[in-house]
Order: sequence, then structure tokens, then C-alpha cells
Amino acid sequence: MRKDFLPAPARIERIVRQTYDTHTYTLAFEDLDLRQSYAFAPGQFNMLSLFGIGEAPLSISSWHGQPDTFDHTVRSVGTVTDAMTHLGVGDRVWIRGPYGHGWPVPELQGRNILLVAGGIGLAPLRPLIAEFVARPEAYAGLEILYGARKTDDQLFTAEYGVWAAAPGAALRLAVDRGTPSFPGRVGPVTALFDDMTSRPENTVVVTCGPEIMMKFVVRGLLARGFTPEQIYVSLERRMECGVAKCGHCMIGPLYVCKDGPVFRYTALSNILEKIL
Amino acid sequence: MVHQLKATGSAVKGKVVLTAFELGNFVQLLLERYDVYGPVSKGNQAVFGRVSDPAELRWDYVTTLLPPKKFFYAPFETLFHFHRELGITEQQVLNDRKRVLLGLHPCDVAALSLLDRVLDGWEYSDAEYRDKRDQTLVIALNCASPGKYCFCTSFGTGPEATQGYDLVLTELEGRFLAEAGTEAGRELLGSLAAPAAGPADLWEKAARLKEVRAAMTRRLPTERLPRALNEQFDHPVWEQVKEDCLSCGACTVVCPTCYCFNVWDRLNLDLATGERKMVWDSCQLVDFGRVALDHNFRGDRTARVKQRVYHKLSYFTQQYGEFGCVGCGRCVDACIKHIDLVDIVSQIGG
Repeated sequence: MRKDFLPAPARIERIVRQTYDTHTYTLAFEDLDLRQSYAFAPGQFNMLSLFGIGEAPLSISSWHGQPDTFDHTVRSVGTVTDAMTHLGVGDRVWIRGPYGHGWPVPELQGRNILLVAGGIGLAPLRPLIAEFVARPEAYAGLEILYGARKTDDQLFTAEYGVWAAAPGAALRLAVDRGTPSFPGRVGPVTALFDDMTSRPENTVVVTCGPEIMMKFVVRGLLARGFTPEQIYVSLERRMECGVAKCGHCMIGPLYVCKDGPVFRYTALSNILEKIL
Repeated sequence: MVHQLKATGSAVKGKVVLTAFELGNFVQLLLERYDVYGPVSKGNQAVFGRVSDPAELRWDYVTTLLPPKKFFYAPFETLFHFHRELGITEQQVLNDRKRVLLGLHPCDVAALSLLDRVLDGWEYSDAEYRDKRDQTLVIALNCASPGKYCFCTSFGTGPEATQGYDLVLTELEGRFLAEAGTEAGRELLGSLAAPAAGPADLWEKAARLKEVRAAMTRRLPTERLPRALNEQFDHPVWEQVKEDCLSCGACTVVCPTCYCFNVWDRLNLDLATGERKMVWDSCQLVDFGRVALDHNFRGDRTARVKQRVYHKLSYFTQQYGEFGCVGCGRCVDACIKHIDLVDIVSQIGG
């Protein structure tokens, strides 16, 4: 029996609408023992499936300290994620995981976190933000730079007040297409580099978003004196297994599912198939 | 002449000599105890198929259409059955029937060891693959002559099997040498009343294999690999390979070490029950790197043809410490355009 491929049933406890195409689903395993024992690290992902539809890798978007439940923030853009929009509270999904390596939480202790996200890329970073909000004294600071296409594409808007109010935290927003009332920057997320107060000293960068965005984020930060060692990126790839067998997520000798999805930038800089 | 020497002198433990007739009897014995698979005819080609009579076996085959990976990791494998409301209704049951895989050439035996590294390695072991491997006795057959596209000597994976078999056969003049590689192989030999092999038999084996090695003129230069590949990722040869390649994926289907797969749900007509399957996939197919919103991480054909060759000859060495190619030549034969790893690497200057 291929135990690695056997998912466990989980119920949808809550659905929060984030945008016109994105929802946050709070899930709880039906099995109470599994509910207790299931643990993940910020930045890890699950394989979520709907029988008869398929399986998709989804990052976990809730704080790892949240008891009994976990969240997936899902943008309906594919077969499984589209089908999820038809589900309601109490409906069942199937989960296996967590998989991969997440953000370097131990390394972040005592450091300033520069968090750069684009679009749905904010979802796998939300656990880190929640971690900071829960224990701000453990970190030197948190500066969030978040870019979205339009204001109605921004995720977690209901939480911005709490995030920005945390001691040592700053939240800066950018949109590609702004309205006159939009208080942030109009342009790519890298436009916020001119406003940011984070300096290379004592900072760790965590970034997730479209690869083209991360490419310019990395370039922009390197030009501002940040080193490849202090930048962490989270990558997306097609994944069928999550356990380094199916081959789809390979980049060079690395499996994004097993060695990532979070990589220190130095691990990627020598990959022949240029990605960032 | 070597082949006129009689099997005399001191007997060698775990090694016996069989006439063709005795070998047939030995296969008959295996048929009574196991499910036996070996090289049999399919049209004018050979395939690994179920054997019901020793006479079906093609001892002179050069290569088979598909490699033996299909016995351990089939093109379609059921992971579990499901009911959309009730959940997982049936899990795959492990097979407890012992079987014998007979007549594998050394390259295919070596390829199974490489598949072991992938599917039975790292943190996650594929229990079903492991079980099928454990339930299968491997009887290798050393090569008598190289095929048109063979280049196994480049990787040391042939024409002589050196490990990974329970029993290995070598055809000598008018007889076969059978040597055990494991305790299970020794037990198989123990059931035979065959004369023990002597130094002359082993000498003839060595002489024959030397001839096969000499006859294998195709060589993939491995000395400077993977460095030569890594240093010249944008070598102009890829522009030509890309133009030749039709992205059909035949090379990966016939490859004994290719293992990539998709996970699919097959829903029955009742729209309630179905099964989740592992299905062979290919990095050469355009959809391999496609994700939601039609983004494709390897939409460019050059990137795909490189992925296959770089995985075999560079990434695999970084992942598992060995080359991922065994030089069986099937990919060259299966390719309509005969895209050839040997040519590619020779041009890059491996």
C-alpha cells in the first residue's frame, strides 16, 4: 500500500471571502487524533484533493500555533481550486501533508524580517506574519511590502490593521493599477523599495509571488546591498506527489516539494535552468 | 579454441553449467513454482512477457521494446478506490505471489538498481514498488552481441552483469553458465543436478564478454561528465536537437530509468465511485510543467529536451551519485528522428 498517497478526510469549518476569486478555508481533520498530532511549519504545503476532480498542492496560510485547525487560502484558477468554490461549511476535502521545508523560523529569531509578497504569494507568508504578531518581542521588526494587481485583489485586508499595529511592524502596499483614493504606491512591489526602512544589517528577506516578481525583488535587493545568503524565496511548480517521486517539480537536482518550496537564494543561484 | 575446452578442473561454488536442454528443464521447474516472465516474441520484436513454455523464450534477443520497469511500476497503477461520499473504499492489496523475471540484460538489471534509489530511497519509500521487488527473483542474461544502439560499456552497466541479480546466465558454446548472486539464486541452483562450473567455463565467459565489449563501438564519453554539460548549458547542439524533437515522449516511455508520473482520478459513470491512479508521464510532453492559469515552467521545447539529458547525465549524479543512464539505446531506437545521447554528448565534448 502506498501510504504516502493516502489522504485523510477534513471538514471545512469556515470560509472567508478574500476577493472575488480567492477564499480562505479553515479545515479540521475528522480524526481527532490526527487533529491533535498534525503539525506544520510556516511555509509548508499540503496536497488537497476532491475525489473525482484531482489533487493540488496548496500552501498553508494559517499560524502554526492555531489549535486543531489550519487554513488554505485558495485562488480559483485550476481544476481543483475551481471545484472548491462549490463547497460550503461542513463539506469534506481530503488532505495529506505537510510537505517540504518552510521559512527559516529559527534563523529569524531576533532579526528584522523584510517580507515581500505579490498576489496570492502572501498566503504562504501569512503564518510568518501571524507568528510575528503573536510574539513581536522575539523579532527586531517586520516590514511587509505587498503588491497586488488592483486593490480588489488584495488578500487578508481585514487583518491589515492588526498587522500594522504590532510593535515594530510596518505594512506598505502597492498596486499595479491604483484608484485615486489608494494611499500606497502605484506600480510593482519593487516600487516600495524606495519607502522601506529595512536595511541589509540584521535583516532576513522572505519573498513569495510570481517568479518574474521575485526575480526583480532579488535583483533590486542585491543592488541595495542585501546578500544572496539573507534572501529566502518560495517557489511554485507543478506537483503530483509531494514526496520527490513524480519528477514534475524538479529544477536542476532539486525537488521543490522536498528541498523547498522555500529555498535560500544561494541554493538556486547555481541552478543551470535559470529561474530567478 | 576456447569453446572446445571442457568444464574440468576445480569446481566453483554457486556456479553450474547447463546444456540448452537442461536450461529448458530448469525454466520448466521455475514455471511450476513461480509466475515467470522473460523475453518472448511480439511480431518481429521481443518483449518481456509471461512465459508458459520454455520454448517461447528468445535467448538470442538483443533488446525489448519496453524495459522491465513495467513489472514494478506499471504504466497505470491504482493507488486506491474511492467513493465521493464514503471516502477511500479499497486500498491496493500487496501481491504475495513470487515471480521470476528471466533473461534481463545487464543494463536492465542496473536500471532496476537505479530505480531502487529513486522509488525506494530518501525519506519516502514506495512500499508497493519495494514489495514487488522483494517478490521477484531476477535472472540476468549476459549479452552475446551488442545491439545497434547499445553503449552500456560507457557506464560499466554491461555487457556483463556484476550485481543486482539472483542468478546470471552466460551463453557459452553449446551450453550456459549459471552463477548465483544471492542466497536465493544459490537455492535455485541447488535444485539442479547440474555439473559445477570449472575455471575453463569462467575463462570462456570472460573471453566471450571481451569480444562483446570489443564489438560495442558506440561510446558516450563520460570522463568529463557532468562538468562538460554543466559548463556549457547553452551549447548550440541544443538548437538542432530542439528542431529534431517532436515532443512525443517515446524516449522516456522506453527508458528503463525514467520514472515520472501523474496522479489521476478516474471517475466512473455513476459519478460517485472511481480510482486514483499513478500514470507514467514524460518530461518531454508540453504539459509536464504546466500549472494553473496556463503557466508553463518548461513550455520551451529546448528546455524539455535538455531536461531529459541533464537529468540522466548531470542531475542524477548530484541526486544519487551515479549516472541515470545505463546505455541500453532504447531511446535512440524509439525516437522517430533517432535523437542520440551519444551524438549529443560527443558534440558537447564530454
